Amino acid sequence: MRRTTTISALAGLATLLLSGTALAAPVTVWIMGDSSANFDALVAPFETETGIDVETVAIPWDAVDEKLTTSVASGQGPDVVQIGLSKLRTFADAGALLPLNDLVAGYPGLAPENFADGVAGDATAVAGQIVSVPWISDTRVLFYRKDILEAAGFANPPATWDELRAMAKTLTARGDGQYGYYIPQWDSPLPVVMTWDNGGDIVNADGNVDFTSPGFAAAVDLYTGLHADGSVPKNGDFDQTQGFISGIAPMLVSGPYLAKAIAGAAPELDGKWGITTLPKGSASGTSLFAGSNMGVFATTDAPDESLKLLEFLSKPETQVEWFKLNGELPSVKAALADPALADDPLVTVYAAQLADAKVLPMVSNWDGGVGSELLKALNSIVLTGADRATALANLAAATAGESIN
Amino acid sequence: MNASPAQRTLTIMVAVALAIGALITAFPFLWMLLASFKPQREALDFPPTLLPLAPTLEHYVTLFVQLDFGRYLVNTLLVVAISFLGLLIMAMAGYGFAKFEFRGRRWMFFLVLATMMIPVQVTMIPTFLILNAMKLTNTLAGIALPTLVSGFNIFLFRQFMSTIPDEMIEAARLDGAGEMRIFVSIIVPLAVPIFAVQAVLTFIAGWNSFLWPLIIANDQKLYTLSVGLSLLNQQLAVNPSLQMAAAALMVVPMFVVFVIFQRHIVQGFTLSGLK
Amino acid sequence: MTRRLAPYVFVGPAMLLLATFGVFPILVAGLVSLTNMNLGGLARWSNIKWVGLSNYAKLFRDPDFWQALWNTVFFVGLGVPCVVLLSLGVALLLNRSQGPFFRALRAFYFVPAITGIVAISLVWSYLYNTQFGLLNYLLSLVGVKPVQWLSDPTLAKFSVGLVAVWRGTGLNIIILLAALQGIPRDYYEAAALDGANGWQRTRFVTVPLLSYALFFVTVTTLIGWLQFFDEPFVLTDGGPLGHTTSVSLFIYKEGFRGSQFGYASAGSLVLFVIIAAVTLLQLRLRRRDLE
Repeated sequence: MRRTTTISALAGLATLLLSGTALAAPVTVWIMGDSSANFDALVAPFETETGIDVETVAIPWDAVDEKLTTSVASGQGPDVVQIGLSKLRTFADAGALLPLNDLVAGYPGLAPENFADGVAGDATAVAGQIVSVPWISDTRVLFYRKDILEAAGFANPPATWDELRAMAKTLTARGDGQYGYYIPQWDSPLPVVMTWDNGGDIVNADGNVDFTSPGFAAAVDLYTGLHADGSVPKNGDFDQTQGFISGIAPMLVSGPYLAKAIAGAAPELDGKWGITTLPKGSASGTSLFAGSNMGVFATTDAPDESLKLLEFLSKPETQVEWFKLNGELPSVKAALADPALADDPLVTVYAAQLADAKVLPMVSNWDGGVGSELLKALNSIVLTGADRATALANLAAATAGESIN
Repeated sequence: MNASPAQRTLTIMVAVALAIGALITAFPFLWMLLASFKPQREALDFPPTLLPLAPTLEHYVTLFVQLDFGRYLVNTLLVVAISFLGLLIMAMAGYGFAKFEFRGRRWMFFLVLATMMIPVQVTMIPTFLILNAMKLTNTLAGIALPTLVSGFNIFLFRQFMSTIPDEMIEAARLDGAGEMRIFVSIIVPLAVPIFAVQAVLTFIAGWNSFLWPLIIANDQKLYTLSVGLSLLNQQLAVNPSLQMAAAALMVVPMFVVFVIFQRHIVQGFTLSGLK
Repeated sequence: MTRRLAPYVFVGPAMLLLATFGVFPILVAGLVSLTNMNLGGLARWSNIKWVGLSNYAKLFRDPDFWQALWNTVFFVGLGVPCVVLLSLGVALLLNRSQGPFFRALRAFYFVPAITGIVAISLVWSYLYNTQFGLLNYLLSLVGVKPVQWLSDPTLAKFSVGLVAVWRGTGLNIIILLAALQGIPRDYYEAAALDGANGWQRTRFVTVPLLSYALFFVTVTTLIGWLQFFDEPFVLTDGGPLGHTTSVSLFIYKEGFRGSQFGYASAGSLVLFVIIAAVTLLQLRLRRRDLE
């Protein structure tokens, strides 16, 4: 990538003068989130060690689509880009990501077996090509309010989805405006997780999107049943953090970021809430493997430097450091087992759940395509009373031809 | 108008009604300002309180120290400064359309109006590709260029320029003044009121610019305030007070600019022949 | 510089910029609408295929597009009269006195117009929130049950529209106020001598003299509402179930979320044609008015 800003030129010059190392091509990294400060701190040792200058740009989550699209259009992207798993296929299909199959061989730190099984190697390959390296893990676990559940006579969190549904009904009966559970209307992976847990999948043996498995029917029963019971709020602007803190929704499925938000906003609730692995369906308690990978942009002119950086980021100690700096979970097995994490009771639960978690099917454009059609169908049933058979027929029609191949 | 007692009573009633309306209109803004001084815990409290119980400046400190808002502020001001160049270009165009007969005037002016009808989302990718071809991505100029001129503003300039008497221009021509000289030394001084209006409109647009800074900047060093604010607007940082502080930081300076210049703004519109 | 050349020199730079960043992109969009351009096509132009008018055919069969179109009609029907009448009303009242108090009030009415969309989304999402919002809290004090401002399909349209009305009035108030101040005093005095009362003076002197400013405000407001985007984008993302998705938002979602740029461009062109038709119709009607 051409970088001609005076600032980076000066920075490069300074590196040259101060460290005396040869001037390696600088690497630009796009990370998602609110600030590049933490990432700068993380890679500082890498810069000193290799003399490779790393430029970090934080991209607002809200604007990821525009930013990535325009960079693909112009070929003027970064060298390394953090990319959410749900967008991986779209950008790989567009040829925006450098295929890494042949390249990773030279970097032992990037070997698939180092990473958590849910995202390693083929799990996130697109059409047989590895186009990214796992970066951070994220999974969904069950959050519950111990105090509220106990007051309602439940000593333990629900172990199965059926139990959860029954408990949610009881908890809803606490009073007007109270609920037992919360389903975010924008959460397209949740119905998929419910399908997995009931032994089904939304992709059939041929790799085509298929909403006819009995497991999916069970998931729809569960999803619509929770609404029919009145156990979940029907407003789309429900705030899950405030809802959980206030106790209005004492159970919900969410990721580690919620734990952070609760701890920050309501320290007085410490000890009154907990997390546990997902309740089981008829088959399993599999959860979603979310998180982000790091890809190398196809137009990079610093592939070696980029891969060196990826290898550095995949070191267990770097991953543990990032967890300490930013609170995001490692994707490297060795880091997940590190005492710094294992001592944290919350992380123990996340790690246990990560061992039983899958990524969304790598269909092209999950968020804007299959995922949004799925939500549209389910929410039309529960919010506007649309006929279930019609809604599901529309869903099948809208997603016909989508596949992971 | 003569102020009979009945008239005066009516004026007072109107004043009261307007004051209530103004309070309601400005309330969201007021709320934002007050919330920006609340500690995070208090902002999530329910029922909410209007006044912060334990006011704090920590969020403003955070913005400047941790999130580089100082730099975003400088960039925003630079973008505003560049877009002021557009004012001159639009004034020239307004003058050309108002005071000259020339081949193609009708359809050119139609084009000006037509550009007002094009939704931004439509032209985003083509515009980006053009800027990319001009090697202007990742520059402040590239951020400002797509919105440098607007049909709406050219139209306002033309309206104003139409009210300038032709005799003045003719007299200057007879004195042997060149066309550019007439524009600079006669038209521009006369057009100060409309420049004031446009300056404020430009300032507002530049100040709030979000889309282009985000897309054009491949370098965080070029982010503007709006982009910086949206970096906060995400699930990982659930801190409404911090977000409110960032929002307040964007609105308060605009409010001050408006209060200072509002008389000129109203005057500028008055003289622009929009009556 | 000769007089013949002068106008081109004056108009040239602006026309060049408008052509580059206004006209040319819409022509590009026109071409793109005849292709199957997606993200892969953007990356490598060889991936693009001509598909003729099939994007348009698909568009007119797409229930989501029709929903967005009817939503837009609703928003225009609600928003434009509200913005114009409210702006006119406030401007008339503000014009009643030139005292410092009235002048100070202007700034408050202008605040929404200068507030960036990101700030608006923060504050209004909070005000409207069903469980924790201020509005529902205030209503609960008088015993009203929580209102689903942004979640009830019908109400959400009004809630989103209200924010846009709130934001849209400021600039128009200033424009109309300016036009009011441009009306010579003598007109009112003459009318008063003829025995016209306050309301009659407003109705028969002020409003007719304002007609040009009102026309300008109406046209620009109408164009703005036909392109309605910001408020639903940040407040509801077009939900619940598409009930607040405007055509602009539909285009945006198809383009940037769905990467279907050919399809989105077809939507863009249809929207552009609608806006142009409505605006030209207005110009035509006004011309007939004047004749």
